[in-house]
Amino acid sequence: MPVLQLTLAIIKPHIIKNPISLEAIRKIIISSNFKIVRSKRKRILLDEAELFYEEHKHKFFYNRLVTFMTSGESDLHILAKENAIKDWRALMGPTKVYKAQFEAPNTIRGLYGLSDTRNATHGSDSPETAQREIKIFFPEFNCEEWLLKEEPHFRTGQVKFLNNEFLHKADC
Amino acid sequence: MHYSQKVTKKLVPTGLRFLSGPKRKYPINPDLSKDLPVFQYVQSKNKYKRLFSWGNAKTGALGLKGIIDKQAEYLRSPKRVSFAEKFEVRTVAIGFGFTTFAINSDTDVKLYGTGVNTDSQIGYHAIRAGHPMEIIYYPQPISLPFKNPTTSKIIKLSAGRAHLMVLTSDEGVFLLGNNAYGQCGRKIISDENYLKSNLVHHIEDIEGKRIIDIQCGQDHSMLLAEDGSVYSSGWGADGQTGLGHFRNTEEFSRVRGDISDEKIVQLACRSDFILALNDKGETFGWGNNEYGQLSLPNEEQQLANPTSMDVINKLGKIKSVASGGSFCLAANEYGEVYTWGYGLLGLGPNVELSKKPILIPCTLFGKNDFQPNNTVVKVVCGLNYAAAVTNLGDLFTWGRNKWGCLGLGNEKDQYFPLKVSLGGSVEDVFCGIDHTVALCKPFI
Repeated sequence: MPVLQLTLAIIKPHIIKNPISLEAIRKIIISSNFKIVRSKRKRILLDEAELFYEEHKHKFFYNRLVTFMTSGESDLHILAKENAIKDWRALMGPTKVYKAQFEAPNTIRGLYGLSDTRNATHGSDSPETAQREIKIFFPEFNCEEWLLKEEPHFRTGQVKFLNNEFLHKADC
Repeated sequence: MHYSQKVTKKLVPTGLRFLSGPKRKYPINPDLSKDLPVFQYVQSKNKYKRLFSWGNAKTGALGLKGIIDKQAEYLRSPKRVSFAEKFEVRTVAIGFGFTTFAINSDTDVKLYGTGVNTDSQIGYHAIRAGHPMEIIYYPQPISLPFKNPTTSKIIKLSAGRAHLMVLTSDEGVFLLGNNAYGQCGRKIISDENYLKSNLVHHIEDIEGKRIIDIQCGQDHSMLLAEDGSVYSSGWGADGQTGLGHFRNTEEFSRVRGDISDEKIVQLACRSDFILALNDKGETFGWGNNEYGQLSLPNEEQQLANPTSMDVINKLGKIKSVASGGSFCLAANEYGEVYTWGYGLLGLGPNVELSKKPILIPCTLFGKNDFQPNNTVVKVVCGLNYAAAVTNLGDLFTWGRNKWGCLGLGNEKDQYFPLKVSLGGSVEDVFCGIDHTVALCKPFI
């Protein structure tokens, strides 16, 4: 069995404000067999958001994206699964919501996105960005240590799910 | 004969004994029964409107308690809301997952709200002290700080993603809910807990002028003063505040650009771009233009200054405009409906992108040999769907059918306008993201 892959998922502020959508998205995460390694709810700070979206700095929507991400609390999750990055991006659907709702109506963005910026969720696009993004929001999380100690438990399913924290905990 | 006489003889004294018998402790006076109230079933008064709602039921925004008990997830066809049988509903506003109703009353409770309430956009409601409710499943009263509750009336409501504006006849505007971008027209407080907030912001007038109309965008707000000038506040990242910059605005400021000398009469906005109509029937637009909603000759994607939309002004005098998430609608004086932008525009099964307005054939709105005078008088946009009301009181919807919000009895996307079957003559319709409310008057 191959080693599990990690990805960073962000559930954006407008979903946190709608308990029905939040519950539905969480259900999708669990039923797609993702394991939630770490969870955190916080309001993203301006400098974190600027660092996070560095690559978009010169695009026209940069200001819109950063002001939106800092407008309220977000849920930050480290998700683990084989091919987590690709699978999570497939669940999310295309970035632009107005197009996603016709091209991929049953994806998270097609169902719960409100506009091209308020597009419900974020997911890392490659293993390198996943590592960089996890480092920004979970500086205390040590990837190597997790791979060594907890990953075998997650891979073999020796984990229990804590509903209140929305988190899987290794049985060790 | 003998037998029945015997019976009556026996019966009469028995009955009388209870009425006037000397042994009774408290003798009964039969006349008293005339003053007793007569039981009657509740009947709605003639002036009461009929209210229908449909769409996503999970958020509680439909105001129907029964379907929550039945755990229905959505309603695909209109259902009559009993709330409007108990109160005289004047107007409605739909936000993203919540609905508010303005009623005729002499107290300070003139507003009821139901649905998602995580930003206290429909007031503070707590069963246990200190534990405010995130969702309300049927209309609950919202008390507003009126100075003269007996004379003031609510004229119009408007709701955004998570905030609410209430326009009153004499006391200006009340604003409730999320203020993360300054959309309530007050200072942004970082880390403000909107869930536990009981704050109602009040704006009496704007620069000494009376406020006559309001309009909420998704995360910004606009006021229309009596002289036709427009003021805005809130999120400006797409230029939707029209103030010439892309920053947040914390205080209602005058919108200039091409509309600075115009008398604006109507504002339309559901998402991040705005259409404004002046008294001559000309259209102006500003905000997001990623899908060509503003019909600009150039490829600019965001516009922070109001601009005259010359392409639309060639269509004749415009009577009603509406702006959705990525497309627009305009109805002119002849009742012809034009659409442009991106999405299911009502012109067939293909998702289209058009910068130029296209006429939706009038026959689709019920104009035929039997009713040649049928014209569209009002167009309304939800985020991804559209609605039109005709002068005969019919409602037509089309577009993306998220959770049955079109009310056509199915969940399929609708490619052209189709009539919604409603038990009343439609006066006004309110569209949100996944639910719709129609305000009707009875046929008779």
